[in-house]
Amino acid sequence: MTATRPARPDEAVLGVAPGAVAEPATVEEAAEVMKGCARDRQRLVFVGGGTDLGVGAPPAGVDVLLRTGRLSRVVEHSPSDQIVVAEAGLTLAALQRTLAAHGQRLGLDPPGAEQATLGGIVAANAFGAHRTRFGTARDLIIGLSIVRADGTAARGGGKVVKNVAGFDLPRLFVGSLGTLGLITSVTFRLHPLPEASATVAVEPITGGQARALVVATREAQLEPASLMLLAGSGALRLGVRFEGFGPGVRQQTGRFSGLVQAAGLRGELLDEAGAEAFWARHEAARTSGAVRVRLAAPPSALEQVLAGAVAPLAGGLGQGWAVLDPWVGCGFAGGTPADPASAVAALQRAREALVALGGSLTLAAAPPAVRAGFDAWGAPPAAVEVMRRLKARLDPEGRLAPGRFVGGI
Amino acid sequence: MPESHAEIETDELARRMSAVVGEAHCISDPAGLSVYECDGLSHGRIRPRLVVLPASTEEVVEVVRLAHDAGVPLVPRGSGTGLSGGARPTPGGVVVALSRMRRVLEVNLEDGWVRLEPGVINLDVTRAVQGRGWYYAPDPSSQSICSIGGNVAENSGGAHCLKYGFTVNHVLGARLVLDGGEVVDLGGPSPDTTGYDLLAALVGSEGMLGIVTEVTLRLLRKPEATRTFLATFPSSDEAGEAVSGIIAAGILPAAIEMMDTLAIQAAKAATGLNWPEVGSILLMDVDGPLAEAEHTSAAAIGIARSAGALEVRIPVDEAERQLMWKGRKSAFAAVGRLSPNYMVEDGVIPRSEIARVLREIGRMAGEAGLRVANVFHAGDGNLHPLVLYDARNPGEEEKAAKLGGDILRLCVRLGGSITGEHGVGAEKAAYMADMFAPEDLETMFLVRCAFDPEARFNPDKVFPTPRLCGERPGPYRPHPAEAAGLVERW
Ligand SMILES: Cc1cc2nc3c(=O)[nH]c(=O)nc-3n(C[C@H](O)[C@H](O)[C@H](O)COP(=O)(O)OP(=O)(O)OC[C@H]3O[C@@H](n4cnc5c(N)ncnc54)[C@H](O)[C@@H]3O)c2cc1C
Repeated sequence: MTATRPARPDEAVLGVAPGAVAEPATVEEAAEVMKGCARDRQRLVFVGGGTDLGVGAPPAGVDVLLRTGRLSRVVEHSPSDQIVVAEAGLTLAALQRTLAAHGQRLGLDPPGAEQATLGGIVAANAFGAHRTRFGTARDLIIGLSIVRADGTAARGGGKVVKNVAGFDLPRLFVGSLGTLGLITSVTFRLHPLPEASATVAVEPITGGQARALVVATREAQLEPASLMLLAGSGALRLGVRFEGFGPGVRQQTGRFSGLVQAAGLRGELLDEAGAEAFWARHEAARTSGAVRVRLAAPPSALEQVLAGAVAPLAGGLGQGWAVLDPWVGCGFAGGTPADPASAVAALQRAREALVALGGSLTLAAAPPAVRAGFDAWGAPPAAVEVMRRLKARLDPEGRLAPGRFVGGI
Repeated sequence: MPESHAEIETDELARRMSAVVGEAHCISDPAGLSVYECDGLSHGRIRPRLVVLPASTEEVVEVVRLAHDAGVPLVPRGSGTGLSGGARPTPGGVVVALSRMRRVLEVNLEDGWVRLEPGVINLDVTRAVQGRGWYYAPDPSSQSICSIGGNVAENSGGAHCLKYGFTVNHVLGARLVLDGGEVVDLGGPSPDTTGYDLLAALVGSEGMLGIVTEVTLRLLRKPEATRTFLATFPSSDEAGEAVSGIIAAGILPAAIEMMDTLAIQAAKAATGLNWPEVGSILLMDVDGPLAEAEHTSAAAIGIARSAGALEVRIPVDEAERQLMWKGRKSAFAAVGRLSPNYMVEDGVIPRSEIARVLREIGRMAGEAGLRVANVFHAGDGNLHPLVLYDARNPGEEEKAAKLGGDILRLCVRLGGSITGEHGVGAEKAAYMADMFAPEDLETMFLVRCAFDPEARFNPDKVFPTPRLCGERPGPYRPHPAEAAGLVERW
């Protein structure tokens, strides 16, 4: 059995100190840790890079913190089949470096790639600006290996992109936040690195204009790789990135610029440094602030989202920012509130507005004073009873990240 | 009080079901029942006790309650085009056919989705919105007859799934009736609904979790341009090399389909196309913004030529393009012209192995003394070997089945799958153990138990050995530390 060590103070999970820490170096060792915990009926929380530990609620208790960082091997990369199998603790940046050497990439770009691990990205369903084009982990995962609460190692999916044999365990684990089992390896489909990439920035722009531009872009049959509205102090700014082969990218940026002009707006085709700065600013926003939330609502509701959610958050969170993907209908907001009570009030208002639109607001980071007044998930979804039954089947004793998930799961 | 199905008389069950769906929609006469004895896989027929055709979620709920109380298994059914026996009746069970539930309930092009009943035919989704330039991407070859409910259950794919993904990438929400009649809504039109992705578990679950009575699908704006070409090759070696080369060049075609000589002969016989009877044909679509499509199609043609293409044909107009695709899509059924009987296989291999696997299949077929026609989705390595045989020759059907099974095992050995789109159903349950360890299957089974603990729905499919969900998990037992008052659960 892998030895555990005492937890350091900075290893507390949302204020809950673990009894001990295990850092298995192999999948077999990880399974041993899980078996040991099953035998001793210990509660576990899994940690990868720790970049998204603020998602969800604090665990009810942690006897053993299992860190996946040493499970960091690329198990198999087949460039000609455009798939990669990698252990869960490998960081996204390390994976992307391996893939880039073969002209490929994983179409996921959440912030903090140097720390964020593949297992953590899948468990937290983390994503970045490339979601417009590639979707989320759900759209790219094709296989995974897990260890169940009772220590049983199992696998779902496979190594080929097209495969419908058996139930879809890989996708079921996307966003499960370590409550269904330990993810030990993941298999993704890959995409080629684009030959060309170009970003057009539109500033200033209002919510209404941004929505109209999104509709016009779709009607013009353009296919943006990223489309992001940045809201900070001052005016809104829209960035649109096109990727592909040179001629396609040139034509798409040209036509998009035409749409911008026709709408009476000012667009600028950014040079390489400018584009890099724009997306870096997007990423910096996403990781700043003591309070951070994820937003979702139908894309057509962009103006209501800005007025009903982003505006109150900007006021209540202090130095608030928001980034919204108006193509998909998702986004993030955050800030560092001076006073927890006004933050809670703003969060509540924003959540009510989003829920009324059919969307949601969930916490991605918050200090205890804010968490005390604001539930991380909000009202449980319609199917929460089925979710409880699923949890009860895979983790009957409720030992995996207890209380972290929706509805107290 | 639940009764076992041995106890309830079929007549009594029919009376109760008729009271829900109407007498005209509860089939109990032998001639009527015989239509439902199988799906697209015609062997292994089983006559159901009854077939009911509910018209609404409410009626489905009542049907499920009655079956639950009577202890009778249910098999959901869409259009019955499945190729793995997924809708094959369970002995003593009732088939619930969704073909009367065919309404498109809501179209929202602002947000790009449509909500509809499960009996809606795949192609009718696109038909409902194409006038405004939209379409539904997954395009199984059976799209003019198969239902969305069946597509959801099978996670169906199609030629264009290489670029656009499978059914699972396009289902946003579903309404599901569980055993006992509980109705749950999974997902929805807004992105990122909270909680587990139960929708992902539902798509591809082959009718084993419950009955889907409503589906919300993502719609896409039609691409600006599509460029199609057909390339002929002396053998599948060169064609396979062309496919690898195109992918290696960073091109993501909308579709790349491959046919071998036998499949070409069949397609020609069925459609009168003037295709040369070469070793292999590739049919490829690239689409997207105009300049991107032009560029990638020219690049792909260049790669095909340098891989050894004998000839490249570019359709002069949409009519000729449609004809080329008709040739491809009719190849399946057309094989019937070459042989009195054939079996359709559906395996997946890593794309890079195509040429090697086709040679190996040829060798295995030769050894078995049978012919195999290959027509398949080359871009994602999804093979459809069609094993030709003559059932009148004693022992030949068994030989064909064995060859089909050997091909599937070959796929698994190379790191592939026993099914890329047709599902496991009744037909391939026996091969699941070749692909998955007992622990893997057990984990999947636990998922099934969470939804359908008494195995009401499609009980005898997918899993190689029938099982029970066992004890329901007990109530939560507090952790010792919790019991001792050291920690609190909130
Ligand atoms: C000529 C031909 C070509 C084909 N080409 C393709 C292809 O290219 N790609 C592909 O993926 N498939 C293909 N198929 C297979 C088949 O068409 C698909 O599997 C299709 O999705 C089945 O739909 P159906 O409505 O006929 O479902 P059925 O055959 O009636 O049922 C299939 C499964 O779905 C379940 N089911 C049906 N409706 C519901 C519901 N409402 N709720 C819960 N469960 C339900 C059934 O229990 C069963 O397990 C082809 C079939 C044929 C005959």
